[in-house]
Amino acid sequence: MSHEIDITGLSKSFGQGAAAFQALKEIDLTITSGEFFTLLGPSGCGKTTLLRIIAGFELPSTGTVRINGRDVTSLGPSKRPVNTVFQSYALFPHMSLSENIGFGLKMLGKPKAEIRATVDEMLQLVRLEAMADRRPSEISGGQQQRVALARALAPRPRVLLLDEPLSALDLKLRKEMQSELKRLQSETGITFVFVTHDQEEALTMSDRIAVMSAGQILQLGAPQEIYNTPVNRFVADFIGDTNFLKLRVKAVDAGMAVLELPGGKAAQASLPDGMRPATGALVTAVIRPEQAEATGADEGDLHATVESATFFGTDTHLHLTLADAQGFVLRRQNRPGQPVPAPQSRLGLALAPGALRVLED
Amino acid sequence: MHGHGWKWLLCTPALIVLLLAASGPLLIVAVYSFLSPGNMGGVVWEFSLEAWFRVFFRRDIFEPDLVEWNRAHLQVFWRSIWLSLQTTFICAVLGFPTAWFIATRPRHTRTIWLFLITIPFWTNLLIRTFAIQEMIRNNGTVNAVLMWSGLIDSPIQMMFTEFAVLLGMAYVFLPLMVLPLYAAMEKMDFSLVEAGYDLYASRLNVLWHVILPQVKPGFIAGSILVFIPAIGAYVTPRVLGGGRTMMLGNLIALQFGQGRNWPLGAALAMLMLVVVVGALIFYLRVVGRNDEARRG
Repeated sequence: MSHEIDITGLSKSFGQGAAAFQALKEIDLTITSGEFFTLLGPSGCGKTTLLRIIAGFELPSTGTVRINGRDVTSLGPSKRPVNTVFQSYALFPHMSLSENIGFGLKMLGKPKAEIRATVDEMLQLVRLEAMADRRPSEISGGQQQRVALARALAPRPRVLLLDEPLSALDLKLRKEMQSELKRLQSETGITFVFVTHDQEEALTMSDRIAVMSAGQILQLGAPQEIYNTPVNRFVADFIGDTNFLKLRVKAVDAGMAVLELPGGKAAQASLPDGMRPATGALVTAVIRPEQAEATGADEGDLHATVESATFFGTDTHLHLTLADAQGFVLRRQNRPGQPVPAPQSRLGLALAPGALRVLED
Repeated sequence: MHGHGWKWLLCTPALIVLLLAASGPLLIVAVYSFLSPGNMGGVVWEFSLEAWFRVFFRRDIFEPDLVEWNRAHLQVFWRSIWLSLQTTFICAVLGFPTAWFIATRPRHTRTIWLFLITIPFWTNLLIRTFAIQEMIRNNGTVNAVLMWSGLIDSPIQMMFTEFAVLLGMAYVFLPLMVLPLYAAMEKMDFSLVEAGYDLYASRLNVLWHVILPQVKPGFIAGSILVFIPAIGAYVTPRVLGGGRTMMLGNLIALQFGQGRNWPLGAALAMLMLVVVVGALIFYLRVVGRNDEARRG
């Protein structure tokens, strides 16, 4: 696995003096050839700035960007083997779809026959052969999205940068384009760097995810890793749904803590590296809503009262109150004939082994 | 639809003004061009094609049957068209970077720049033109500076040349090019420029393939706004050009004044209208064609 993009010590500030805003703080990042890499974070976290620096639209304040080993930090976008799919698509309105797709190759000075062949191939790849001569204003948003992809892929860049490309599409089209993107990525073998604030999109599409907040990368890893072992409260909260419980430590032993659960029982929870809370201290423990199971009222690790239930089709979210008045959300998969517990009914919760984790705040 | 019938009445005040101030006088001018001149100016109500004849031809004073082209008139026509085309071109070349500069400023400072562009309109055109004269006359500012610096020994003759007229018109009409260009640029999606660079285009190619097609409507509007008043310009060629660089507007004014030939003046004015409308149609056909052919 070779390094496609190497980013070292990258910072970016906007403005000067007291009004200065630091959009990126000392980012170090390596993206591997051929991977689907996602920058995930809330708006304003710096993910788009990072993408724009890789594309060459912004100069970093400090640090370097290498693409395929070559230092491109000071090169303009037209000199980088990188193409961008813009959030607004930025299709040239005065050109036909073919002209749009062929623009990069034309600027590279490729022969006409080669341009035509590549444009045809790209139109086929995004299934828009029949619309080659239309203008961007004459096709739908989803089709425009595909043209933007084809235009960026046509010059065969080493890296394709995608800036929230699906955010303007409705849900159904977005799902379609997600699998379309995956297909294009595996067919072309091009490295994709994808920016999104949609955690579900990131989880389903990425090989690796960098979760960003306030100009820093908080966690970098495969989707499962990020979902199952979030490093801090922000990541746990941002990716998926999480129950946060304030619990007291009864004992600590080799990366594990025994926590006292509301209602008096105890459960084991993993500790993050280097954390060794004192016995009797209050810590934050997390557990995903689907990692507990409802049991009879007097069984299980926890006892809870049902406040309300929300039906989601595939599953039902039960909003519960634990014995010490902390809230807990339980996600239960729906099965035929399964009754929805009535409000104020009582039930027990069995925690899945290893599901409970202590987090640093 | 209900209540639709009377809504056109809202246009009547404007229609009345148009009728009185535009269509009426135009009709009078058209009629006058087919009448005979009065001795002390004005017209004699006698049908005649003489004025239209004299627009293009002249008779020998001693042998009225000897007819030749009226070279003086043709020269004025040509000069008017040529100077107006050059003015439009100069305004476009100077106006584009200006409009670009304004359009790429932060939103709140753009108003200030636009305001600065409109400041010349606050002063009377005649006074501004005399100010230019003060700059470029033989013992004016420019020559004084050049001679003081030792670059030239004797003043450069700039007044009463086509250069002077061109300078004056380009100055006067520049805002009329900048404003529509700015309006077009402000509407432009600047991510298109980034997309151009991203797809390996050089600066020149981004300008040519991405920016110019986007601001073309601004160029069309600006060119029309500059060319039309330029071809009928009166004050600027009168003050800066003098008698040797007479333009159509001055020629027409001459016929209504010292020339005492109102029908000829009317015929020349009608000719100018025809030239302008013709040029406009031709321009819109040629420039607008690409778009329509593609859209078709």
